[in-house]
Amino acid sequence: MTAITAAEPTATPGPDPPLAEARRGYGADLWRAVGRNRKALAGVILLVFFLVLAIFPGQIAPHDPQAEDYLPGLGPSSHHWFGTTAYGQDVLSQLIWGTRQSVIIAFGVGGLATLLAVLIGVSAAYLGGLADGVLSLLTDVLLVIPIFPLIIVIAAYEKNSGLFTLVIVLGALGWSYGARQLRSQTLSLRTRDFLESARVRGERKLYVIVCEILPTMTSLIVATFLGGALYAVLAAAGLQFIGLGDPNSQSWGTMLYWAENNEALGANMVLWAIMPGICVAALGAAFALLNYAFDEISNPALRMRRLDRPIKPVRDEPAPVVPSADDRILEVRGLTVAYATDDAPVVAVDNVDFDIGRGEFLGIVGESGCGKSTLLYAITRLLGPPFAGQIMEGEILFHGRDLVSLDERQLRHIRWREFSVVMQSAMNALNPVLTIAAQMRDACKAHSNMSAKEIEERSREVLRLVSIDPVHLHSYPHQLSGGMRQRAMIAMALLFTPDLVIMDEPTSALDVVAQRSLMVQIKELQRRLGFAVVFVTHDMSLISHFSDRVLVMYAAQVAEFGDTRQIFEQPRHPYTRALLEAFPSIHGPNVRLTGIPGSPPDLARPPAGCRFSPRCPHAMPRCREAVPPLYDVEGDLVRCVLYDKGAVPEQTLVEAS
Amino acid sequence: MRFVLRRLGFFVVTLWAAVTLNFLIPRLMPGNAALAMMSRYKGRIQPQAMHAIEIAFGIHTHQSLVAAYFTYLGNIVRGHFGISLTFFPDAVSHQVLQALPWTLGLVGLTTILAFLLGTFIGLVAAWRRGGLLDGALPPIFVITSAFPYFWLALLAIWFFSIKLGWVPESGGYDVQTTVGWSWTFVGDVLRHSLLPAFTILITSIGGWILTMRNNTISVLAEDYVRMARAKGLKPWRIMWTYAGRNAILPNLAGFAMSLGFVVSGAILVEFVFNYPGVGWMFLQSVENQDYALMQALFLLLTVAVLVAILVADGATAILDPRTRDRS
Repeated sequence: MTAITAAEPTATPGPDPPLAEARRGYGADLWRAVGRNRKALAGVILLVFFLVLAIFPGQIAPHDPQAEDYLPGLGPSSHHWFGTTAYGQDVLSQLIWGTRQSVIIAFGVGGLATLLAVLIGVSAAYLGGLADGVLSLLTDVLLVIPIFPLIIVIAAYEKNSGLFTLVIVLGALGWSYGARQLRSQTLSLRTRDFLESARVRGERKLYVIVCEILPTMTSLIVATFLGGALYAVLAAAGLQFIGLGDPNSQSWGTMLYWAENNEALGANMVLWAIMPGICVAALGAAFALLNYAFDEISNPALRMRRLDRPIKPVRDEPAPVVPSADDRILEVRGLTVAYATDDAPVVAVDNVDFDIGRGEFLGIVGESGCGKSTLLYAITRLLGPPFAGQIMEGEILFHGRDLVSLDERQLRHIRWREFSVVMQSAMNALNPVLTIAAQMRDACKAHSNMSAKEIEERSREVLRLVSIDPVHLHSYPHQLSGGMRQRAMIAMALLFTPDLVIMDEPTSALDVVAQRSLMVQIKELQRRLGFAVVFVTHDMSLISHFSDRVLVMYAAQVAEFGDTRQIFEQPRHPYTRALLEAFPSIHGPNVRLTGIPGSPPDLARPPAGCRFSPRCPHAMPRCREAVPPLYDVEGDLVRCVLYDKGAVPEQTLVEAS
Repeated sequence: MRFVLRRLGFFVVTLWAAVTLNFLIPRLMPGNAALAMMSRYKGRIQPQAMHAIEIAFGIHTHQSLVAAYFTYLGNIVRGHFGISLTFFPDAVSHQVLQALPWTLGLVGLTTILAFLLGTFIGLVAAWRRGGLLDGALPPIFVITSAFPYFWLALLAIWFFSIKLGWVPESGGYDVQTTVGWSWTFVGDVLRHSLLPAFTILITSIGGWILTMRNNTISVLAEDYVRMARAKGLKPWRIMWTYAGRNAILPNLAGFAMSLGFVVSGAILVEFVFNYPGVGWMFLQSVENQDYALMQALFLLLTVAVLVAILVADGATAILDPRTRDRS
């Protein structure tokens, strides 16, 4: 069963569910993503180009790279594209033959370093205890000791070391950075459910590591390889350039060494000195570009996605104030919000209307992923990563001004003075590096000319309002308890006693007792100070006790909207009914709790017709034909064809409820 | 306090590891390079120089390996690095101290400048997401970060010194100017450092820009940045104290980590420019088989990275109250 009140406070709507889903079948997605990323594509093309040169130098190079057959120091010509060296060798042919060594070094060192990094990093994290201590210390020490000088020291004793030695030494010293990252990633995975279940199943450690852990770290392993390859290409070229490689080997670094020794740049053999460097840079760039692209692919936040349709054009002059009929302070009309994804846009808030009066307490309720939080951030105009949605249509009339048409600068003047926001987790919503006092000061300075003393006074005052001892004013967020942090955030929201406070599950991170007392306090303050509250939650019991009206959301749409008393006494929408049946009543008789079978639909592919119909016990063929409109039933708005008076007699409704 | 102790312990272990590597590497090389070197020089050089090599390798003919190791450790702890063969009979420590200011001035200042500048550019690029800066910079700096330092140095010399003749092509100062605190000398030193500094700046700044940009993008998705917007703060205020202040923290850790990389690049840049700093001296010592000097310089480079980590730790403690409470 799907319990509605189950603790799922961190579930967020919107695309890109993190790691868990990306776990299996990652490979195929990865390659598709590489094809779409221009940087990755450029990297792949460069890499393939050099691979071809490295494999078939004999077929491609026009001349023998070592033969000193030509005039020394020739300029570029059709016969010698890049001229000749001071020894009369063809520069182009040397470049082509030199590719092989760089490619071998890149792949050899990258592979070896990655292998060691995986072995050491993953086993350190997985074994834990003493093994972890020793391996981590080793990793950290190697990370700090400057590798390149160390390699020079080694090369100093063993001059003219061959390719094999170079690969071994570079690989054996270059794994530490990757190992460190892999270790912390494994540590963070260790307590995940899928690993717990593998442990419970009694799988062997090796199996767990190879089949369960490694696939989740594909992107990190790829990054380790690419980083190692880049570092190897540069380090090897550097070593050969200063003469610590085999001077007779065919490599770009050795070419640079001879070019420098013959003062090629001064002696008009510029290409001899420039081209090998360009090759090193290009091969390095191939790895760097791929590395960067993988970073972008594995971290969706780094990618930019845009919807074609912009929000309403911003007006230059202040938005005209539309006189409001009564004491409505916020009226939302036809609000539609969509997220850009790699595929079609996802509509997370679909044509939502509601309003709220002065001093009113409006609850918005629904399962996780139904668009509640998106709605809330849309009406506060705070959409942005990770809620990177855009308002596609609709009006948000606040005190008669349409917030949708205001720009950031115009919004800034209204914010916090006229409406403030309280977020789900104060731990995340308070800046961890500033004291509570500093964060309150920021808000005060942005909107008033209060003196430092007045700010301090006001901050203490609002802390007292939420029963926090003002001694905590100069504490950092992490020094306060969870309940206190949450109260401090509410205190901050009351600095200017705004007309409207918008709360996104402000109590769901707290335990039940703290939750209760905080809710009572919020309600008390609301009565005393007279602000209106929009309160988002998935907890029906909070709604029933504290809100005046309730808006039930399902799959981005309003399912039911009306007076709290009326809805709790007579829930009309089958979804509302199911929600009420899924939570226990404190006062009522003992009844068996039932969950709602199934789960909310994927907003990228909403079901046809009524979105609740796949889970609805009363569903009929008609439900799947079209999205039902909102029917007005005794002032209660219900999106369900059961209330279409023309079709169904009234009696069945009462029986059904 | 525990944190500080652990950190100190780590520094000691790292230094010990560097010293031990100095001792072990010549012995572990095929054919025991240390012994080979000793027998090669025996009778060919002055006894004083011979002694220098003995100290560098920790070889006293009648000592067991373990005893030799402890004698070696004892010498290092007392700052007894032996005598330089290149600058015979000058003490290694004296030579190192002469080269150090040049490197601190050039590499130290340039690295800090690159870090600050790169961090700032990265922050602004991420803040103006999708803007010109953000669109153009990442691809450019991904590519420049793959440039070999020394090659860029060669190009810079070719273009600015040989072609244009704007700046001197090598050295730390003109040998004809008198060394001292005169305007001409200081100006001359600055003129000589311009090109190497430019090379280091260009190649190292890309990394800072990219990591800071990516850090900032992650931080911009944090609730506290949204909260700052909700509070109606001015954009620059949000950028500095909410986004930047938090995004720089991982960059500081990264600064310490990638300093080894910068040091490597700087060695090659000093080499190309014949700049009289630690890196140039290091390669000189390798070329002249001046092992006592080489070992001391390797140790110095390790210490330099450790000091940088210490500085980064300090900066992190200042900027992040959470680490302060932990220590």
